[in-house]
Amino acid sequence: MAQLNLFWPEGMPLPRLEALDIFHIESGGCTGCGLELASLSRALLAGSHPIRFVPTPRQAGMLLLTGSLTVGMAPVVELAWQAMPGARVLAVVGDCAVDGGLFGGNYAVLGGVGARARTRVALPGCPPAPDEILAALVRWQTTEGKR
Amino acid sequence: MSADVAALIRRGAPTPCAGRFVLEIEAWQAMIARLRAAELPLLGLWSDGVQVHALFRQGQTPLVASVGVSSEGYPALSPVRAGARGAERIIHDLWGIPATGGSRDPWLDQGRWPVATPLAAHSAPTPGLPEGREFIDGPAVMRAGGTVLGHGPAEGDFRAPFHLRLGLPGAGIEAVQPCMGYAHRGLAARLRGLAPQQAALLVARIDATATVAHQRAFARALHHATGTPMPAQGVAAGVMLGAMERIATHLDMLAQASAMGGDGRCATLAATMLEQVRQICRELCGRRLLFDVIVPPATVKVRVEDTQLATLVGQHALLHRLFWRPRGLAARVRGKGVLSAITAARWGILGCNARAAQKGQGDMTDRLDARLDEIGESLSLLAALPEGSAMAPEGGQGEGLGWAQGPAGPVWHWLRVEEGHVAAWWCGDPSLALVQALPTILSGAAYEDVDLILAALGLSATGADL
Ligand code: SF4
Repeated sequence: MAQLNLFWPEGMPLPRLEALDIFHIESGGCTGCGLELASLSRALLAGSHPIRFVPTPRQAGMLLLTGSLTVGMAPVVELAWQAMPGARVLAVVGDCAVDGGLFGGNYAVLGGVGARARTRVALPGCPPAPDEILAALVRWQTTEGKR
Repeated sequence: MSADVAALIRRGAPTPCAGRFVLEIEAWQAMIARLRAAELPLLGLWSDGVQVHALFRQGQTPLVASVGVSSEGYPALSPVRAGARGAERIIHDLWGIPATGGSRDPWLDQGRWPVATPLAAHSAPTPGLPEGREFIDGPAVMRAGGTVLGHGPAEGDFRAPFHLRLGLPGAGIEAVQPCMGYAHRGLAARLRGLAPQQAALLVARIDATATVAHQRAFARALHHATGTPMPAQGVAAGVMLGAMERIATHLDMLAQASAMGGDGRCATLAATMLEQVRQICRELCGRRLLFDVIVPPATVKVRVEDTQLATLVGQHALLHRLFWRPRGLAARVRGKGVLSAITAARWGILGCNARAAQKGQGDMTDRLDARLDEIGESLSLLAALPEGSAMAPEGGQGEGLGWAQGPAGPVWHWLRVEEGHVAAWWCGDPSLALVQALPTILSGAAYEDVDLILAALGLSATGADL
């Protein structure tokens, strides 16, 4: 069983999980959620965990958004989604991405993608901690993701 | 010569904001003429729709020159201060106020906003181009010829989005054109009309890597505007939290840069230390990232446990040794992404990046080493537990300016309060100067190194775009 040592000095056992390639886009937040995702990504890498963050949407099965969607990023997110192959799912992490949070719609921002699109993982928080993000991904994988 | 210009500014009409003077147009033009030969650094330029304000630093004292906006706009500062270029274009995008003699090319507005000049009193609705404004390569990129490659705004990383067009006639980058606005959330429009407490929530979320700096600068501006004294305990807590933030942000950058530079040992140690710091922050303030810790004035007495500090100090010494070991990260990134002292002065870059430029040639090795130094200094500061002294407000007549040292350089906030609400606000983040200096910093770099160079720079598009 893989251990995650980075967040908990005593280590945290992880269930055996399926491989998942995630493409992350920071679509207009403060990067707080991005920082916590970076921590998670480092921990997963260190533990040789099969959940990975990948540098291109072409090999990803999950598009994970953080931040409220700015009008400038909307077409970028759309292009990334179109570039993803096969079965793909959308995840939103953090209050901004879930429903806009403190950054609701205005002339430059469309708001949270979670309020407009069908998402499979929606995790509020400002920002949610890495262990919470991981728990949400694991929950999805062990329930819906296996179907 | 600097003293000359400063004296000229001080002869302007005083305002409710300490250190801000309103100049007649002739005096503004005379100021521009004298700035050519003076060393007065420009730290920011913004507008409130009625006037344009230029923030200078004379020694350690901030000095703001303002000029009324006429139907033709205002005379541009960019011919004498290159760093004003981005700000002039932003003022034009947001207010529709042109800088005569400066550029009117859009900086933030990529053509997708549903209104033109959103901050102006009568902002006109526009259809908003669904495809956005066509991205036209600038003359520098066209001249470079060869291959043109894009970088960003979605690279699968964890940074705020922006786009670069890179001209590579051969193996090295010769032309760089940044395209900003992807991270623009319209913060100035959002803050208008808010009570300071609500505004502070947004301010804390300008940029997570410098949230404490933004909160402290905003709190100081507010304290000068409203005339409320800042208690000693709050000042001391701000200093300590600022040190915690500096350590965390520098460690994050070291972890990123080491991973990209292929130094696994440095990367693992920096990441481990970072997680410990985040854990300490959670124990002290209830949050891993230090949002909402300064306004209302921090009442926490920040005291990191001696054992936790001792561990971090030991790890910092080891990280320093690992960084400098033969074939370590220092050797791997030597000569990459040079930000010289001349470039720093030209674009008004201060803080840790400018300090690195003083150390040596200002390459990535110097920059990461400067960050390591600052981690050490911040750890000593946490160990010393300084007592802050209460800050007496200057002004207290509804307008204030405040600053704080952030991990990437000084952060400025200015605000005007009317009837208990924010009437106008501006924030100056060091990232705007860094973006403008990118063509020089990336010049000659290999395309594969762009990510690495950007990671070590501490550039935050969310701070630059607001
Ligand atoms: S949810 Fe909070 S932490 Fe995440 S991007 Fe939005 S403001 Fe930042």
